[in-house]
Amino acid sequence: MKFYIDDLPILFPYPRIYPEQYQYMCDLKHSLDAGGIALLEMPSGTGKTISLLSLIVSYQQHYPEHRKLIYCSRTMSEIDKALAELKRLMAYRTSQLGYEEPFLGLGLTSRKNLCLHPSVRREKNGNVVDARCRSLTAGFVREQRLAGMDVPTCEFHDNLEDLEPHSLISNGVWTLDDITEYGEKTTRCPYFTVRRMLPFCNVIIYSYHYLLDPKIAERVSRELSKDCIVVFDEAHNIDNVCIESLSIDLTESSLRKASKSILSLEQKVNEVKQSDSKKLQDEYQKLVRGLQDANAANDEDQFMANPVLPEDVLKEAVPGNIRRAEHFIAFLKRFVEYLKTRMKVLHVIAETPTSFLQHVKDITFIDKKPLRFCAERLTSLVRALQISLVEDFHSLQQVVAFATLVATYERGFILILEPFETENATVPNPILRFSCLDASIAIKPVFERFRSVIITSGTLSPLDMYPKMLQFNTVMQESYGMSLARNCFLPMVVTRGSDQVAISSKFEARNDPSVVRNYGNILVEFSKITPDGLVAFFPSYLYLESIVSSWQSMGILDEVWKYKLILVETPDPHETTLALETYRAACSNGRGAVLLSVARGKVSEGVDFDHHYGRAVIMFGIPYQYTESRVLKARLEFLRDTYQIREADFLTFDAMRHAAQCLGRVLRGKDDHGIMVLADKRYGRSDKRTKLPKWIQQYITEGATNLSTDMSLALAKKFLRTMAQPFTASDQEGISWWSLDDLLIHQKKALKSAAIEQSKHEDEMDIDVVET
Amino acid sequence: MNENQKSFDSDKSESEDEQKNGRVKVRSRKTDDNEGYTWEGEYQRSWDIVQEDAEGSLVGVIAGLIQSGKRKRLLRDTTPLQRGIIRHMVLVLDLSNSMEERDFHHKRFDLQIKYASEFVLEFFEQNPISQLSIIGVMDGIAHRITDLHGNPQSHIQKLKSLRDCSGNFSLQNALEMARASLSHIASHGTREVLIIFGSILSSDPGDIFKTIDALVHDSIRVRIVGLAAEVAICKEICNKTNSSTKNAYGVVISEQHFRELLLESTIPPATDSAKTTDASLVMMGFPSKVVEQLPSLCACHSIPSRGGFHCPRCKAKVCTLPIECPSCSLVLILSTHLARSYHHLFPLKNWSEIPWSANPKSTHCFACQLPFPKPPVSPFDESTSSMRYACPSCKNHFCLDCDVFAHEQLHECYGCQCSGN
Repeated sequence: MKFYIDDLPILFPYPRIYPEQYQYMCDLKHSLDAGGIALLEMPSGTGKTISLLSLIVSYQQHYPEHRKLIYCSRTMSEIDKALAELKRLMAYRTSQLGYEEPFLGLGLTSRKNLCLHPSVRREKNGNVVDARCRSLTAGFVREQRLAGMDVPTCEFHDNLEDLEPHSLISNGVWTLDDITEYGEKTTRCPYFTVRRMLPFCNVIIYSYHYLLDPKIAERVSRELSKDCIVVFDEAHNIDNVCIESLSIDLTESSLRKASKSILSLEQKVNEVKQSDSKKLQDEYQKLVRGLQDANAANDEDQFMANPVLPEDVLKEAVPGNIRRAEHFIAFLKRFVEYLKTRMKVLHVIAETPTSFLQHVKDITFIDKKPLRFCAERLTSLVRALQISLVEDFHSLQQVVAFATLVATYERGFILILEPFETENATVPNPILRFSCLDASIAIKPVFERFRSVIITSGTLSPLDMYPKMLQFNTVMQESYGMSLARNCFLPMVVTRGSDQVAISSKFEARNDPSVVRNYGNILVEFSKITPDGLVAFFPSYLYLESIVSSWQSMGILDEVWKYKLILVETPDPHETTLALETYRAACSNGRGAVLLSVARGKVSEGVDFDHHYGRAVIMFGIPYQYTESRVLKARLEFLRDTYQIREADFLTFDAMRHAAQCLGRVLRGKDDHGIMVLADKRYGRSDKRTKLPKWIQQYITEGATNLSTDMSLALAKKFLRTMAQPFTASDQEGISWWSLDDLLIHQKKALKSAAIEQSKHEDEMDIDVVET
Repeated sequence: MNENQKSFDSDKSESEDEQKNGRVKVRSRKTDDNEGYTWEGEYQRSWDIVQEDAEGSLVGVIAGLIQSGKRKRLLRDTTPLQRGIIRHMVLVLDLSNSMEERDFHHKRFDLQIKYASEFVLEFFEQNPISQLSIIGVMDGIAHRITDLHGNPQSHIQKLKSLRDCSGNFSLQNALEMARASLSHIASHGTREVLIIFGSILSSDPGDIFKTIDALVHDSIRVRIVGLAAEVAICKEICNKTNSSTKNAYGVVISEQHFRELLLESTIPPATDSAKTTDASLVMMGFPSKVVEQLPSLCACHSIPSRGGFHCPRCKAKVCTLPIECPSCSLVLILSTHLARSYHHLFPLKNWSEIPWSANPKSTHCFACQLPFPKPPVSPFDESTSSMRYACPSCKNHFCLDCDVFAHEQLHECYGCQCSGN
């Protein structure tokens, strides 16, 4: 259908539109006009992606600026889905407009997923794939080959050279499958095709990391212009992504590997010195002249980028004491030895980067400044030496990145040394965590660089937390409800068991036999009445394990087993994939299954349980983080001191967004239906409930906020029967599903009410000017 | 009023029962966990359903409720379709553990038997030349309760003798057994399976999707009446095996709805016009009744009787009709039987309600001569109905009761018959 928002014609590839989609598009348009950051929460399964794409593409094509869209999503499957939607949208546009617009839409993912090289693609580890690819495609390899040397290269990559650098691929939307297929047909590397075409395309769809993680962003996303529209979809975890991109964990084994790498580097330096000392001399000269020249080379094949944000990079020459290769090697050796000694300590240490640097200086006489240049220096050395196989340098890379980060940032970071893995362990297994506490550091350059940034997800409530944590001001901040022709989901808060004992996953109460039994009862009863799939979430693996073993001894699992197969999510991804497959099979053939999973696990984040794959979800307890974790404690303290966010507020916010994520798993559209059970006494309190997204809150009735197990069962039974009654798309029309006519009527009404509002305000003008 | 009254009464007697047995039940609860208490069920606040009208009276409202209930039952799809009136149906009963539930104030099992018996009677009433077989599934195994035949009494007798239920349900076993008994049926008859599905799971020995494909191949239609919730596999089975009809899968909300869903299957299904276009002739015998002086044995039951029907081909004596002749396998039938099935092919059209705005002149029902209510003072008051229903072909007005009677029992319009059309 085609309609107008203000002056903008929009082509929407479906004949009907949901009211909230229309609302979403209007708000999106206004925020794009205004520029700045918008925070939009839209229920899952209401066609968020297509609304976004169809509005932004219309916007792009209509206005002369042709602003580029950078669409960031979380997982590969989501990127693929978005690309498929975009493809459909463009096909629709072509059919409506009657001609094909010059348009290029690409998706980027790692080499591991896109590589076509017969032996490289078989590697399982992403780092190894990257390293081997570099060894085949790096600039010096090409030079060597041109010089007539017999070096292995990648045929797929070399074939790209035949084409003009700006037309590696024809216009259109290329899904990841399309592009690999195309690459196979023409023997051209899909990864580099996409990489090199990024500056020329209208829509880019890739993972957050390409924009947020400075190690990658600098290489991939540098050339994007300022007026791009950046969209972060599924952005409820964006703060964690920001933090992770600037945090580094070092273990003893990684230090060991690092010193091994240094040794081999040293050997190489000596070799080169004897055979070709000019090479090193050249490099030295370059470094004296300054860093920028050294960086001038094509950095596509760069060994590693600077781990700090671009604006924090010191723009001056490398300090003299690490300019010579052998000096730098000695410097690195000293630093790694120092770290090794620090790891020997048997008590926990938490310190700021400043005190760490002071200590380094006291012991090893290493200054802050050379540390800061470590990453650049190593890159330049590796380039000069033309080392091709860089895979075993991963640990060294980490150490160097650590050195650079620790010397660059003083605030918002903490170093924590944990000698033991768990509280009761006696064998030390030390980890040195350098962790970022301030999520706003990593995202700040994005906010500063791009004119429009849209942050959107199904679960962003409470909305005011993100601006505080990430330090930005929004131009638009909106949470949408869900218009439904029938109440297709039933959220219930179960606070006590049938025996009226309050249930809670609170630490003191969680192992109480009566709580365990009541939780077991809920599972048994719901597996009796729920058809097909039932998903249960627990706050942590630890709790999952303990409660399952007590259920086993109580005979609860045997009882569940009568009605459903029981499958469990484990930290091992392969096992979990297998469990999921079995689960889906059991759901479709009528046997029915229960999936026990964890609120922060893979299942809760990326797997959809649409239709019969999830008829009910039970949230056992509130998924609080492990509060004894030192990193978390440090972060809480930081948030309190710097941004005035109280610890309890943050913890609850974090727990509730994960709970909401879990609940959202079962409802993937308006024709879907599902039961949502929140089984914890604490959900009954309004401070918890109000932190759920608006669209869930909207449907929690007063009567369903404080139920016992048996009452919830009666409600659920009735709900399931009602939902099973025939329901066709025509029932939704006009209410939760607008045709073009409905939309036009709505627009007219909105215009009229706006006019009335306007006239009212004009009357009030002299009284209250601020309001308009 | 009747319906409300009824549910009220049954509530009362139920709770009295509970009170009497209260003590005993509490003790027995531990051993038998499947039974729930009545008070664990949904509260039924029957007083909330009715709302006073403007004058503070309930009478009008209740009358309106009943009327709309009756109307709802009447508005059927009346497009004439080619329907298969020689039907072969397998009724599958759920005899699994889940039938012990008491969510409809009675045990599901008792309800199932009650309504299944009603279904059998109604089925043969509407489709006299059809055949039925009953299968029960218990402990995951399908048991044949009655073979495919056309005698309602023996089906009902077997149904009433069922007592216990245990174990799980198995869709695949039930469907395979049904398929075995239906697959040899000649192509002029329909092959249907009706499943009462009280469980929410089916524990099958093999791949059910293969069974579904086999069912589609044998053109067997499956209808399912679910008692608890929508199960994905049931939906899939119904969708795949019913190409033309929608809503082959229903889930009950109440006792009444359960009955309605079951009885819906008594209407013969439309034939798949794409498949069976060429008409074929079926040999049938129309025997005449004989009265004998001396009793002789009948060929069907070997019971001495004084009279019955002689097969026109082999002269064997049978005592009831319709039946397949036990000696020469000719279908024996009375012409009235055929006539009874006939109305399905040309259903009586729905009668339309006459609004006051149409300004009806009639004063009495054309059929029963009961007076209609007088028009309201203001001519366009739409709050009350005119209680007149008009046949679209003869344009006569009838009252609601006559409307129901004509559509449910008579299958003819009084007016059209009188005018001689």
